[in-house]
Amino acid sequence: MATTSLLHKSISPCLTNPHSISSTHFAHLSIFLCPTEKPPSCRRLLTTNAKKKNPWLDPFDYGDDPEMEYGSLFSEGKQEEDPRPPDNPNNPYGFLKFPFGFNVEIASLGLKVRGDVRRCCCFVSGGVYENLLFFPAIQLIKDRYPGVQVDVVASPRGKQTYELNKNVRWANAYDLDDDFPEPAEYTDMIGVLKGRYYDMVLSTKLAGLGHASFLFMTTARDRVSYIYPNVNAAGAGLLLSETFTPDGLNLSEGGYNMYRQMLDWLGRPARNVPRQPIPPLKVSISRKLKEVVEAKYKSAGAEKGKYIVIHGIQSDSQASMQSRGDPDSLLPIQIWAEIAKAIRDVKPIFVIPHEKEREDVEEIVGEDASIVFITTPGQMAALINDSIGVIATNTAAIQLANARDKPSVALFSSEEKGKLFVPNAEEKKCVVVSSKTGKLIDIDVEAVKKATQIFEAPLVLA
Amino acid sequence: MAEAFMGFSMPKPQIHSPSYQTAKFDAYPHPNSLKQCSSSRFTNGWFQSEGSRRKRGHLCKANAFPDWPLMAVMVEHMEGQRDMITHKSIWHLSDETIKTIYTIYIMFTCWGCCFFGSTKDPYYDGEQYRKDGGDGTGHWVYEKQEDIEESARAELWREELIEEIEQKVGGLRELEEAGRKEELVK
Repeated sequence: MATTSLLHKSISPCLTNPHSISSTHFAHLSIFLCPTEKPPSCRRLLTTNAKKKNPWLDPFDYGDDPEMEYGSLFSEGKQEEDPRPPDNPNNPYGFLKFPFGFNVEIASLGLKVRGDVRRCCCFVSGGVYENLLFFPAIQLIKDRYPGVQVDVVASPRGKQTYELNKNVRWANAYDLDDDFPEPAEYTDMIGVLKGRYYDMVLSTKLAGLGHASFLFMTTARDRVSYIYPNVNAAGAGLLLSETFTPDGLNLSEGGYNMYRQMLDWLGRPARNVPRQPIPPLKVSISRKLKEVVEAKYKSAGAEKGKYIVIHGIQSDSQASMQSRGDPDSLLPIQIWAEIAKAIRDVKPIFVIPHEKEREDVEEIVGEDASIVFITTPGQMAALINDSIGVIATNTAAIQLANARDKPSVALFSSEEKGKLFVPNAEEKKCVVVSSKTGKLIDIDVEAVKKATQIFEAPLVLA
Repeated sequence: MAEAFMGFSMPKPQIHSPSYQTAKFDAYPHPNSLKQCSSSRFTNGWFQSEGSRRKRGHLCKANAFPDWPLMAVMVEHMEGQRDMITHKSIWHLSDETIKTIYTIYIMFTCWGCCFFGSTKDPYYDGEQYRKDGGDGTGHWVYEKQEDIEESARAELWREELIEEIEQKVGGLRELEEAGRKEELVK
């Protein structure tokens, strides 16, 4: 039958099981559903390419309608930098002077149609290292959504990192990794976040139902989070609008690209917007910070541009700036002292994370060792900025040196770790020295000494 | 001297008696309830004669607080003297009212302790209580620390922007100079 085959062809995208319906119904349905003989809609083709949607969120969400026609208004391209019309200086009440054709009523339509993001909040789990590696993501958000205001909620330690980031508006300290937060703090934080009316909330903490409901209660439009890769994620997807499942339980093990999935999603192409490239890690250092740190290293007996920063001394301090993905990343001071002997022309500065380490360093390296006590990543960055280079284990110092284009020698416990945390090391003027046995303490000191010659080359030229 | 409790609540017909308007506190009150128990000296009772009644007048109840039950009037009489009349009023309050009054009293006391105590409290005026957050005027300003940090970052952003612009301008200048040199060479 020619007619039935035609009908079948036209109807099949609309109905999932056309065979169970009798042919008489078919005829009627065909009139209502598919009056014209169009090629079947490619809804299903689209959804197969995309990530599988959570059917519980909206059972009638079939994705974008390909037959939908968008007008020119708020439908494509990036959002405008500042949608707010200028104030009228002549008006005593400060009313806005609306430009011709500006409609207040539809000004916020972009939020719906195009998915604009005017206010974004990032929950960054982890310490200094994890927060530092989140900087490219913030830059990406800034580039993708012009005029967005980015806020950050991080642990008290991680929050200090945002001294180095110009793109962040508010940074709040809240311990995300605490499984049982103080009820007062918890509710207060929810209130604060809800009151800021975010459009998008990003979280790098692995979310279960608890964290997902926390994000849900901020009432943001897009709640985007990593979820547990195991059963602990049960129920989290219901409360989140986009989820990423990491490979392991520890996100930091991904190294430099630990937020890869989130960056992929953030930079996704949209109508008339190409894929956003991932920006490199950049930090900016304020003048005040530079002055403070200059005073510090001058009192330690070093001069600007004539010292090498040594970071990664073994200590039980919280301020060691290690990554969570690499717990074996600190060396005892004896080995550092050996390495420091190889440096002749420039002064090595030992960065101690706690004052109690000062005695040990003085005892082993000698009384004339220049020691600087630094705990915050801001001061660390300023110190590195004025130095020739950095010798460090896998701490935030390496990433800061890369961000400020300083040559560095990175000591890693294994080669894989080195590749993960410092990808394309040559580009970044970073020499990775890794231990053969997989333990950092067994590192070959001679190799490190050899590697330190990269600092002497620029001196010769200068 | 004689004392007598006389004026229990008076019966109604007396109030509405025709002589009501004549005199007020001219004489002793003569309620008929009193007549039986009064002493012999009180000869001019209510029922003595119509004439005396007119002459002496009689008491009527003057109520300063119309709603409050005025319970007794004490009359002090001294021999050979003019009558002295002493009013004594006792308020009988209901349990409910007593409770209310005590409650108000306690609340006032508590408020007073808090208020006047706090005005002398060193903690209330101290740095501990009035540090950042409160500006001392009753307007509570939150997140001063966050404000400072935020403005520092904004400042940083501006610095970077200025640097960028300077670099660009410098590059342009170099280009211009290069152009000029080329012109000179030509």
